[in-house]
Amino acid sequence: MRIALHDVTRRFGAFTALDRVNLEVESGELIALLGPSGSGKTTLLRIIAGLDWPDEGEVHFDGEDALSRSVGERNVGFVFQSYALFRHMTVFENVAFGLRARPRRSRPGEAEIRARVERLLELVQLGPFGKRYPAQLSGGQRQRIALARALAIEPRILLLDEPFGALDAKVRKELRRWLRQLAAAA
Amino acid sequence: MTDIELHWDDAFAANRKSTPDHVRGRLSPENAVLPGFPSQPQASRTASMSVRKATRARDVRADPAPMRWAIIGIAVTFLVLFIVVPLLNVFAQALARGFGAYFAAIVQPDAIAAIELTLLAAAISVGLNLVFGVIAAWTITKYEFWGKSVLITVIDLPFSVSPVIAGLVFVLLFGAQGYLGPWLQEHDIKVIFALPGIVLATVFVTFPFVARELIPLMREQGTRDEEAALTLGASGLRTFFRVTLPNVKWALLYGVLLCNARAMGEFGAVSVVSGHVRGETNTMPLHIEVLYNEYQFTAAFAVASLLALLALVTLIAKVVLEGRATNAANSE
Amino acid sequence: MSGATLARYRWRVIPGFGITLGTTLLWLSLIVLIPLAALFLKTTELSLVRFVSIITSPRVVHALELSFGLSLAAAAVNLVFGFLVVWALVRYQFPGRRLLDAMVDIPFALPTAVAGIALTNLYSENGWLGQLLAPLGIQVAFTPLGIFVALVFVGLPFVVRTVQPVLEDLEAELEEVAATLGASRLTTIRRVIFPAILPALLTGFALAFARAVGEYGSVIFIAGNLPNVSEIAPLLIVIRLEEFRYADATAIAAVMLVASFLILLAINLLQRWSGRRGGGLS
Repeated sequence: MRIALHDVTRRFGAFTALDRVNLEVESGELIALLGPSGSGKTTLLRIIAGLDWPDEGEVHFDGEDALSRSVGERNVGFVFQSYALFRHMTVFENVAFGLRARPRRSRPGEAEIRARVERLLELVQLGPFGKRYPAQLSGGQRQRIALARALAIEPRILLLDEPFGALDAKVRKELRRWLRQLAAAA
Repeated sequence: MTDIELHWDDAFAANRKSTPDHVRGRLSPENAVLPGFPSQPQASRTASMSVRKATRARDVRADPAPMRWAIIGIAVTFLVLFIVVPLLNVFAQALARGFGAYFAAIVQPDAIAAIELTLLAAAISVGLNLVFGVIAAWTITKYEFWGKSVLITVIDLPFSVSPVIAGLVFVLLFGAQGYLGPWLQEHDIKVIFALPGIVLATVFVTFPFVARELIPLMREQGTRDEEAALTLGASGLRTFFRVTLPNVKWALLYGVLLCNARAMGEFGAVSVVSGHVRGETNTMPLHIEVLYNEYQFTAAFAVASLLALLALVTLIAKVVLEGRATNAANSE
Repeated sequence: MSGATLARYRWRVIPGFGITLGTTLLWLSLIVLIPLAALFLKTTELSLVRFVSIITSPRVVHALELSFGLSLAAAAVNLVFGFLVVWALVRYQFPGRRLLDAMVDIPFALPTAVAGIALTNLYSENGWLGQLLAPLGIQVAFTPLGIFVALVFVGLPFVVRTVQPVLEDLEAELEEVAATLGASRLTTIRRVIFPAILPALLTGFALAFARAVGEYGSVIFIAGNLPNVSEIAPLLIVIRLEEFRYADATAIAAVMLVASFLILLAINLLQRWSGRRGGGLS
């Protein structure tokens, strides 16, 4: 899906986080935003996801206005820097959350949800971990569960905010390689 | 993302070129690994799709307005009904007959005696609990030893015991028919129905306050500062007074205030151990009960208002001290 | 060396372990342990038959039922309304919020006798609220309903103050993530926020319950104190003491203490359960 940002501006009081940002992302592209901390990367991602709104400018998904849609309607997967896994739910329940949260009409059956979640867990190579709690996982494993959870809703866009910031170099390398493969296959 | 593998983008660009054209848009696990997965129906579109230049930021975490106002309404009504109104009532009833009657009730001899006794008993109790509370907190937070959690439970015990039972146990020990009763009578020592009994009961009930305020804070602060002082050659006592105490001064002060408020206001435990002798063994709360039972309502409320003022002062102090404690923590 | 081994050496590093532990144990023994031991010692002086006959006598049974029953009800009310209060205080802005937040501690700081006479006066026939309720045929003062009101008052801060820090510390990202995953507001509250604060809610409930069971000062003014009607267990203990029937008083106290210990145990288990599963970010 094409993303188009046009003259997006976001101010926080006297501080301008984003100043007339223009960006176009084609379908299937994998884009990395690089910049020093405080340069507005997270703000931009949040605006695309619908967790924040620009003061000026437009955001289009496939030519249609995205700003008039709420975050749930935008179908954007978001992986936070701090993973934001639900601590009181098992790994399985975390990944299944987005599917179970759907209104009854469009919700898949339990059997199908189970199948999808298990497939996702296999994908991130954490198949046997379904019954564990996030507190029992390492940082790298939590990162992958957060990713699996975002993927479960089959998002049109996947946003990752500093996804490897809290991990050590070796794990970072592996996850990056793996993410590249995921994007390449999409 | 400040550290980058510069070759990554090149490698990826090469990858991208090999991506088949017909695979569009959605990054989904089926495309990645398993083919043949049923596709998800599109999310329904909203009606208004007009392009907007300036948009209103809508907080994702905000509750809808009707729900907000309903909850605020219920919460405020509940708090006003159960807390504000009774509190106001104390002062309203105290001043029901004007300031003259108010002051007359307070300076009445029995009332003065009650006030003096309350202040004395509270001063002793708080003083004792201050010293031993600090020592207990030090023991628990600066050392590791077996049975620590048992110790903490014991410290918390008075909180879960009814004040009446607190008084009862001291009567069982020191009362005329108590275990030590005969011995005390022999030596003409009065504990129950006298100041010592009141102090004991008050100490029992208010002991946890100081320790509980200090323990979480001291636990968080750890032993680093003390160890530093020791390496610099300070003695244990010096370390305690110059390093540990200053670190916890606001929490300690607040613990003392709470302890004092509870000590001065304790009713159930003291009621059991005191003899209810007017002018001698009646604390302020007991005196309030006496006045109330004699239908001297205005006088009762007048004395009560003094304690209510104390409670308000304690709360104000809490807010102020919490502000100071936060500032101290932030400036570290 | 492992952390545990190092920790064990710490007490040799910081001086004063012996004396401070000794002093603490001595003080606790004098003030808490020995007095409580006296209570249980006295209990054992009773034969089992006598003990059972005391605590199963109608008046005692009624007093215990009244105390525990009304405490449970009052704690339940505090659970529901305390939850709404803490939600409003933490999540919303409205005029007077900070003032009301500070006032939540009033039942904690106000002497029980003061609260007792204030509530009695308030709900008596000529009182501000009693006047409003009388035409409706509702009598609060000098009835079990009055006891209930007083118990709600004393337990109010417990639920609020226990849940407040948990709700305040709940990361915004949890709700945002749920929103990106398509959850409605109601679903997010139900399945993400509520389970996270449930342990604290239950702990607050247990604390309010424990406090209410032992409450004396706030209640005896507004209760009718009629035996078998509106007489709470602590009052019965006091009456027995005044009659020098120490054995009876001790027996009732022992039953109440055992119940309190069980509640304390439940609180500890709850807190450990909540610590293991947690309710926030991971």
